[in-house]
This record gives sequence, structure tokens and C-alpha cells, in this order.
Amino acid sequence: MKRKLTPYIMLAPGTILMLVLVFYPILRTFLYSLQRMKLTEPGNTKFIGLQNYIMIFKDPDFWYALSNSAVILVSVVLFTAVVGMLIALLLNVDTKIKGVLMAVAIIPWSLPPIVNGVMWRWIFHPSYGLMNRVLINLYVISEPVQWLSERWSVILIVALVVAWRCIPFCSIVILSAMQSIPTQVYESACIDGSNNFQTFKRITLPLLMPSLGIVLTSTSITAINVFDEIVSLSGYGDVSKTLMLQAYLKTFSFLDYGLGSAMTYIIMVVAGVLGLIYIRNVYKEVDYI
Amino acid sequence: MRKMTRRVVSLCCCIAMAASVTACGGGTKTEQTQQDTTAGKQGEKTDAEKTGGPSVEDGEITVMVPPWAEPSQELLNSFTADTGIKVTMNIVGWDDIRNKVSIAAVGKKAPADVIEVDWSWVGEFGAADWFEPINLTEDEKADMPTVSSFQYGDNIIALPYANDFRLGYFNQEHFKKIGMDQAPENWDDMIKACKKIKADGICEYPLSFTLSATEAATTSLIWMTMSRYGDFFNSDFSVNKDNVIASLTSIDKIVKEDKLIDPASQNMKDVEVYEKITTGAASFMVGPTYFIGRINNPEYSSVVGQLSPLLIPGNGTTKTATFALPEGIGISKYSENKGAALKFVQWYTSPDIQVQLYKDQGSIPTRTEALQELIDDGIMVDGQVMVDQSQYIVSPFPGGIPSWYAEMSNTIYNSVNQMVTGSLTPEQAYEKISAKVNELNQ
Repeated sequence: MKRKLTPYIMLAPGTILMLVLVFYPILRTFLYSLQRMKLTEPGNTKFIGLQNYIMIFKDPDFWYALSNSAVILVSVVLFTAVVGMLIALLLNVDTKIKGVLMAVAIIPWSLPPIVNGVMWRWIFHPSYGLMNRVLINLYVISEPVQWLSERWSVILIVALVVAWRCIPFCSIVILSAMQSIPTQVYESACIDGSNNFQTFKRITLPLLMPSLGIVLTSTSITAINVFDEIVSLSGYGDVSKTLMLQAYLKTFSFLDYGLGSAMTYIIMVVAGVLGLIYIRNVYKEVDYI
Repeated sequence: MRKMTRRVVSLCCCIAMAASVTACGGGTKTEQTQQDTTAGKQGEKTDAEKTGGPSVEDGEITVMVPPWAEPSQELLNSFTADTGIKVTMNIVGWDDIRNKVSIAAVGKKAPADVIEVDWSWVGEFGAADWFEPINLTEDEKADMPTVSSFQYGDNIIALPYANDFRLGYFNQEHFKKIGMDQAPENWDDMIKACKKIKADGICEYPLSFTLSATEAATTSLIWMTMSRYGDFFNSDFSVNKDNVIASLTSIDKIVKEDKLIDPASQNMKDVEVYEKITTGAASFMVGPTYFIGRINNPEYSSVVGQLSPLLIPGNGTTKTATFALPEGIGISKYSENKGAALKFVQWYTSPDIQVQLYKDQGSIPTRTEALQELIDDGIMVDGQVMVDQSQYIVSPFPGGIPSWYAEMSNTIYNSVNQMVTGSLTPEQAYEKISAKVNELNQ
């Protein structure tokens, strides 16, 4: 009897924490999303079913924010995967300064997102940013460019900034996966006459798929949840509004907890679906033999 | 035996971990700094206790304010010595206070006994009934003109401690170079003067104006409309179409045709825009009153001696107009120490303490008595302009600040920003603002 109880007792604290800190808030948020709940009208709180969700889907601002989020997501994932892979390939080369290069490569990842955003804001500052200064001095432009005022330029800059932050994690994960591939596999391929490209395409890439799955999932969730960088770069303006920013404004600025909770749930579902797609299609068990 | 020992040790570790997490989740909610003041020596009765002051249960409060509102330790000690009330300061970023108040209120808790209340939050906080009404005599109200900004219905929910309204500032040297010893008193002449300043190469973008999607763009549109064209809102809280379209059109023209405002202002924070005048990169701006202490302070200004405050220009018929954007402190409805909290609020907003707060941290007094004392003593230079401008403070909101101010402001500043970036015409910007206000007003 004692033997049967012991593992459950060991699991109890962690389970309780998960229930209290994760599952209960998720459930509570869902319940809020089914209510009309404005903090400035405390006497007007009532159950309205899925009305909040219907209102969100009918709101043009939601689709605008969704399109911004989608562009950021695709850009970040592509850029992170490609550049991350290249950096991992570079770091995989045995050199004397490999350790230094690795440390330098990790720096963007170590910065808090808000610091990241503020730093890039100074680079793209409309008046005295580094980017404008360089381009003016090179005679590429004659007047400063308002990088952060136009929709697509600010969205792509946000994507660049987020990708810059995600690339180190991506490259480290891919690098460790690369280094775990047995050299005998490459030797066999070499003996069979495979060139570099074929080796990469037929051996390296398939064997990296599980790690790529993890990286893509993590990067996608980061891209969907981007908030700090957008606020640092362009504030709470409509031009660069994403789903997360919309949810934040609804909940904490406009104090509409019902609508904000519904929006948060939609974001959670989107992120969950993406994760599921990656896990099912990208993540596969690999056998080196 | 060994197995048993290992099991016991593992179990103890799990319990310790769970207990430590629980302990970390509880406790007092304090943020960046915490100051605890105690009165007198232990065992000695305080003056408050001798005169039947607050009870032991009412003798300790927490105060949540932004960094610029934190009083010095000496001031806090003097308050505790006089009243016997211990004060714990919770210094929290301004942007975070509103969120903390709203989240705590959902659980019917007070994040602190005394809390910062910005003028723009009055509508929301009043509608949600999160603050205790404060009674003032008519004389006290007369001495604090900006207290009207903290009135919701019949209740005053906070007392203002930092006076802020919009005031004009101009660079005398720039205007002298075009032959003007005084800045113009109406907007048409001001625009003409700025055009001449630009044409003569004195300053590329003479007018400093916030156009970014931030709160400052909303207040800028409001004071521009009030001072140049008239009421922003009609008496039924609909947006005044003629005045607001005229205001939007004039801003659009100043940006795109006259090119008097730096295009970078479309994406600059308000403080960055205001600082253009103290760097000599602008000739005229309408900005916060605290710039009175900065325009000729070498620590903040690189054009010391060149800048002067002035009344916001009018339109020839209206001499000038401005509205108040003060900050106040109020007492949480869920506070368990309301008596002590009220004493602190009254003390903090008293004339003597306001004078001291100005000397310590530059906080502009909200009491006319305190303001006049600083001016008469020569401590506040150019303060008379501020007193003169304060006579023209008018609230643009019929019936007080609405509970949906944040949502309305979001639409206004986004509409202004999209207009100047070319996404909307002035008429479209007006339609967006008007539609939102009507929707929220229903």
C-alpha cells in the first residue's frame, strides 16, 4: 500500500501547483470570456455566452491585428529557421574562436525583450536613429525615413527584432542536434559519393527535424506573443497592433475583462493549433542506424 | 533503512518546496522601495495619542505613488511625528498603478490605502466606485481649482497634488530674429510667425507638437480645439463637428503644407517632442507646466535664457484656453485604514507641504496659496504666467471625465496619427472619433 501511495505523494505538490497556477486560471479566464464584464460597470456583469467571441470575429480591428500577427509569425519563423541553421552550420566548424563565437551568438537571446525593443528603437528612430544616419551619409536617402510610422515597415522591423532574439536559441538547439549525429553516417555518405549539398539535404536535414520542430514551435509561440518589442518600437498605436496588443488593450486599458479574456483564449487556441501542427508533421523520432 | 531514509528526505524536500512556494505567493505587496517610519521613541506617547488621534488599528497605512510623488524621508518622519501614523511607501511605475488598482479591485482588495489617481482615470475609477469620497469646504475648493478634475458626479474622489495644465513656451531669440519682441497672442499670427522663422532658416521645424499614437496627441487635439476654435464636445457629449474638423484640418495643413512640425513627431514620445524646445530645435510649443522649472535650467536646457512661458494663443475672440491634467491621491474604498489615509491625503495636499514638495522635487502646487507663496518668495520664476493661465482652465468634458475615456483617447490619438501619416483625411479622422464617442456614450 505504501509503495502505491508514495509516487502520488511525490507528485502531489507539483500537481497542486499546476492545478492552482495553470489550470484554474485557464478555466477562470474562459468563464470571464463568457460574461459581459467591464470593471467600470460592476453592477452590469452577466452571462452572455459566446457573444464576446462573436463580437471579436465581427470586429475589423481583430482581422487587422490577426493579419499583422500572421505576417510577423511567418517572417519570424522563416528568418529564424534559415539564419539559425546557417549560424549552427558556422558554429559547427571547429575553430579556435568557436567558444567566443558561441558566446557572442547568445547575446541577443540574453537581453530582456523590452531592452531589445528599446535598443532597436534607437536604431530606427525617425530623427536621430543609426539607420537614417548611415543611409544619409551613404547618400542613399536625403531625408530621414519614418521607419516606425508605416504599417508594413514597422511590422517587418518587429519581425526582424523578434527573429534577432530567437536566432540564438534556434542555432544552439540545431547545433546540439548536429553534433549528436554520428560521424559514421557522414562517412558512409562520403564513401557513397554524396556531395555537400546532398549530404545536407538527405542526411543532416532529416535528422534535424525533431529539433527543428521544437525550434519552430517555440519561435511561433514567441512570434504570436510578441508584445514588449512592439510597445517599445511603436507604442500602442493601431498601425502595428497585433493580437496580443489588442488583448492587452481590451483587458487592461479599456477594462473590458470579458472581451479581453475571449481574445486571450483565441490567441491560446491559435498557438495551440500551430504547436499541434508542428508536433505532428515536423517532430518525428529519428533513428541514426 | 536506507530506503526509508531516502523516502523521508524526499518527502521533506517536496513539502519544503510546496511550503516555500506558498510563502512566496503571500506576504505584503511591496514594490521597488519600502520605507517604514516610526514616531518618536518607544514607550512614549505621540502627540496624536495624547490628543486622542487615530487608534492603533488605524495607525498604519500604505501609499502607492509613482517615483516623482515620493516625499522625502524627513517629510514622512514629520507626518508620523505629528499624527502617530506609520507610512509605508509603495513606489510603482505610473503605467502600472492603474492596472494594479483594477486587478485588485476585481478581488475587492486595496493595493494600498492611498493611491495615485491621474485625471484621466477619474471617470473609470468613479464609475467603478473604487475610491472613497473626500469632503472639502468651499474655501478649500476655491484654493484648489484643479480639484474639479477629480470630481465624479457629486463626489470628489481624490485631491490633486501636482498641478499640470498646458502652457505655451517660446524661444525669444527666434522671434526676435524675425522682428518680434513678444510672441503672438493668437494662433493665426503664431502660424505666420513660425512660417517666417522657417523661411528665414532660423529653425527648420518651429512648432513642437505631438503627433504619435500616444495620449499626448489626444490632449494636444483637445487644447488646440479649445484655444483656437471652441468646445471639443457639445453639451450632450457628442463631438463638435465644426470645431474638431477645423482643428484637424489645421493640424494636417501645418504638417503637410506648411511643414512646420517635424515629421519625426509622428513616432516620438511626448517627452521627446517637448524637449525639442529646450534643445533649440523648436521655436514654440504648448507643453506641461513643469517645463517652467526646466526651460532655463542648465541641467535640462541648452538654450538657457532664450525661453519664456506665455499664455496659449487664442483666436482673437477667445484670449486663451487650457485644461487641467493634474495628478491626485485618493483613498481606496477597500482600505481598512480610511481615517489614517484621509489624514495623509490632507497633509500631503496642504499648502506647506506643497511648497516643500516643489522645493524638493519640482512638483507644481495645486493650491493657489502655495503657488503664490513660491512666486512671491522668488522661488518659482515666471510663475505669474502660470497663475494667469490657470484662470482659463476649463474642463472640455461636459459632466466630468467619462468612464470610457481610455477607449475614446485610443481612437482620438490613432485617428490623429493616421491622419498625419496620410491614411485618413481630416474628415475621416473626425468621423472615426465621432462614431467612437457616440458608441461609447450610448
